[in-house]
Amino acid sequence: MLADLAADRAAADAVLDIALEESKADETEIVLSSQELALSRITHNVIHENLVERDRNLNVRAVVGNRVGVASTNALDRDGIRIAVARAIEIARVSPVDKEFPGLPSAGAATQPMDWAYDAPTAALTADERAAAVAAIVRVMAGHKLTAAGYVSTGNSSIAIANSKGVRQFFRSTDSAINIKAMGEDSSGYAEGYSRRFADLDAAALGEKAAKRAIAGRSPGSVDPGEYTVILEPPAFREYLVYLSWTGFGAMPFSEGASFMTGHIGDRIIGNNVTIADDFAHPAGAGMPFDFEGVPRQPVPLIDQGIARGVVYDSYYAAKMKHANTGHALPAPNTVGPLPLNIVVKPGAKSADELVRETKRGLLVCRTWYIRLVDKLQTIITGMTRDGFFLIEDGEVVRGLRNMRFNESIIGSLGRCELAKELVRSESHVIPACKIDGFRFSSGTTF
Amino acid sequence: MLFESEAQSAMDTAVARGATYADVRFGVVRDEHLEVRNGVVNGFSDSESRGFSVRALVDGAWGFASSASLDKREVDRIAALAVEVARASAKVKDKGIEVLPAGKQVGTFKTPFEIDPNDVSVNERLTFLLDVEAEVRAAKGVTVGRAWMDAWRTTKEFASTEGSRISQELLQCGSACEALAVGSGDVQDRLFPGTCGLYQTGGYEIVKKAGLPANARRTGEEAVALLTAEQCPSGTMDVILSGDQVSLQIHESIGHALELDRVLGWEANFSGTSFATLDKLGTFKYGSPIVNVVCDMTCPLAFATHGFDDEGTPAKSVYLIKDGILVGYMAGRDTAMAANVDLCGCVRAEYWGRLPMIRIGNVNLQPGTTPLAELFDGVKNGVYMESNRSWSIDDKRLNFQFGCQLGYEIKNGKKGKMLKNPTYAGMTPKFWGSCDAIGDKDAWVAWGTPNCGKGEPMQTARSCQGASPSRFRNVDVGVVSYAR
Repeated sequence: MLADLAADRAAADAVLDIALEESKADETEIVLSSQELALSRITHNVIHENLVERDRNLNVRAVVGNRVGVASTNALDRDGIRIAVARAIEIARVSPVDKEFPGLPSAGAATQPMDWAYDAPTAALTADERAAAVAAIVRVMAGHKLTAAGYVSTGNSSIAIANSKGVRQFFRSTDSAINIKAMGEDSSGYAEGYSRRFADLDAAALGEKAAKRAIAGRSPGSVDPGEYTVILEPPAFREYLVYLSWTGFGAMPFSEGASFMTGHIGDRIIGNNVTIADDFAHPAGAGMPFDFEGVPRQPVPLIDQGIARGVVYDSYYAAKMKHANTGHALPAPNTVGPLPLNIVVKPGAKSADELVRETKRGLLVCRTWYIRLVDKLQTIITGMTRDGFFLIEDGEVVRGLRNMRFNESIIGSLGRCELAKELVRSESHVIPACKIDGFRFSSGTTF
Repeated sequence: MLFESEAQSAMDTAVARGATYADVRFGVVRDEHLEVRNGVVNGFSDSESRGFSVRALVDGAWGFASSASLDKREVDRIAALAVEVARASAKVKDKGIEVLPAGKQVGTFKTPFEIDPNDVSVNERLTFLLDVEAEVRAAKGVTVGRAWMDAWRTTKEFASTEGSRISQELLQCGSACEALAVGSGDVQDRLFPGTCGLYQTGGYEIVKKAGLPANARRTGEEAVALLTAEQCPSGTMDVILSGDQVSLQIHESIGHALELDRVLGWEANFSGTSFATLDKLGTFKYGSPIVNVVCDMTCPLAFATHGFDDEGTPAKSVYLIKDGILVGYMAGRDTAMAANVDLCGCVRAEYWGRLPMIRIGNVNLQPGTTPLAELFDGVKNGVYMESNRSWSIDDKRLNFQFGCQLGYEIKNGKKGKMLKNPTYAGMTPKFWGSCDAIGDKDAWVAWGTPNCGKGEPMQTARSCQGASPSRFRNVDVGVVSYAR
């Protein structure tokens, strides 16, 4: 049954039909998801954890008047489905009326098919094939007298949505990833690759990239805390940028005045060389064509050439704020409002290497760690560098550095940045490297 | 055991295919979350999941597989898959994994509780939250009020090829309220109680004793007052942390640092490693002599308390730091030998379908002898900080920077004006070495954390860090960004 749900729309539809049939609510929404994740985890050049996880979830949102209840189960026999539907209705009946609840969305525009998001060989990849990829990485590490930590993974999932107002959606996809941290005595380097198709990932090449960084970082020096020109490589820039999504690109904080975007639509808020959008359909990305209410996603310009253009909406906030629904609902019950999940940053004109060559004195940041928000409205975050932190002098990466803590305003820093021309996927986002002047480091550490 | 025949079948399959050891976990998890926001229900969900997993050791390498389907064919297929995955692991191994024998463990455990959440009507629970949230917004100037409660009920069964058979029923509950205030060019929030609410093992009595109705209005008023409060100064000064902030400090700079899998590099790519390396065990000065920390998986009320962990180890208490010296780690059966430390039963999985790993259990700072009122004595110039809002620490758990929701100036032993955006930073051993007073047992609370992340793929765990308010000398306070 599980495999059928992931691969077969008819099997998923059958479950949706039973659930809708069981419901006597005024409106009912059923979201059926199924996923299989396989992951081989590495440390010290061996596989120390290795797993295949399979699960599924049936989420029922029942509407009685303007009252809403949600219940979920992974028991997909008729009894399991009936119980979940009954619980959702029971919850709805005792919930207070939410006058602003607009009802479930109706069937709307057609959804992009995105068949390319599913790759059968990736879905069928075996533990032996993952081990072979790990072995390729380990060979590279052994050749450099380094050790690797990280993982090789593949995923295979589907989501099917139906509601009593005619929405009916199905999407299946695969995904794969390799994360490698090459470790030496006093240095480490990082490389990552993500793709819908595992065949696109070159484990040995990623191993070489990580190893090269670890070797270049040996015998690290240190620099004093202060302001530096930095070049954030895509994994670092992604972690940095994603906080904008949480703090301000969703309609909930925007409507409450808690977003840096509030009151600034149409204003220039960052440099005119920066354009940020949410684009589910980017071919390098990891998006899906509809949201968790089954509403087709729309590409949304968030910041266009430095000017704040808009935020993302789901059906609730679209009705509340009298705005078009952009198709960015999260699974119900959603307590954080709609969010962009597929950030795409428009690339610049120069290569990342050119950005380094043009740097008189600066720091190269390959990866960051434990970024947290210090101030919501000023978008000040703090975090640490890790796994590749280098001094650049006269356009050359000259030596590795001990890691440092930064405190910086994301919005403020994007007013003095330059973007690289190479776009790469990092987790679910598609972004370039980013050079920022006057980036503030507040303290160092001992490694 | 409910799933005795399925468990035996899975183990028989695993052994027949070459496993030298296998364990099977079955689970049924029921989660309820009720949340109100500005007078309406923002989230009210009731979810249930069930399934099982098999962990197999083959040729000194681990394999793991799980499924939500409990039919016999699937049970055998998953057991065989776990062995197949273990064989693949064995292709990239060194000397292989040895597992400390746990022996045959047969037992049951049930969380003690006074009030079953199911015996409290949904109407009563909702009315309670709506009243609390209304009280939050009764404070003039609050933009968003929130109140919520959670109940997790876990039934789980464990069986191993060593003959273990364990059944447990765990009940965990928690609640909180929060105010968000927007104005004067600022956004401020306050949460009560503590950093994320009061989360413990037990029943609805945990919700009742959290004190939400009595503190909701103050929570709102503080959020609004913070908008116009003075900015916390920067400099080196003494700091008194509320118990819940000490709890967060323990979690980040002691709990994670003393997970033995991290120390051994098993988390290197994601959560990181640890500065507290094996060579430091028994001699390293982790903190001042008054700092005593245990991992006590039997602690009453504590959020991670259970009878046995997810590899069958009975719960017990072990010292991690004694009189300021590093003396132990949290270990699992496949890591304990590396440090020759005792197991305390802290290997846990998020739920039945996830791989068990070492997780922060109940890592408790033992109470000191200083009455709460006396903590302020002797502080000429300092800041009192309460409830975390920002937490960051490097991947060896040394360099940290934490921000709190609320601060108060301390001048000559007296609490003075309110301060906003208080932050402090430091290096772990130096910071704990500067601890010169720990609040007594009257101020000690088993603070639970419902959302600790670790592992690849990431798992969420529920941990506890019991703590009292504590005093630290000569701490770096303030963030340079605000001074720009």
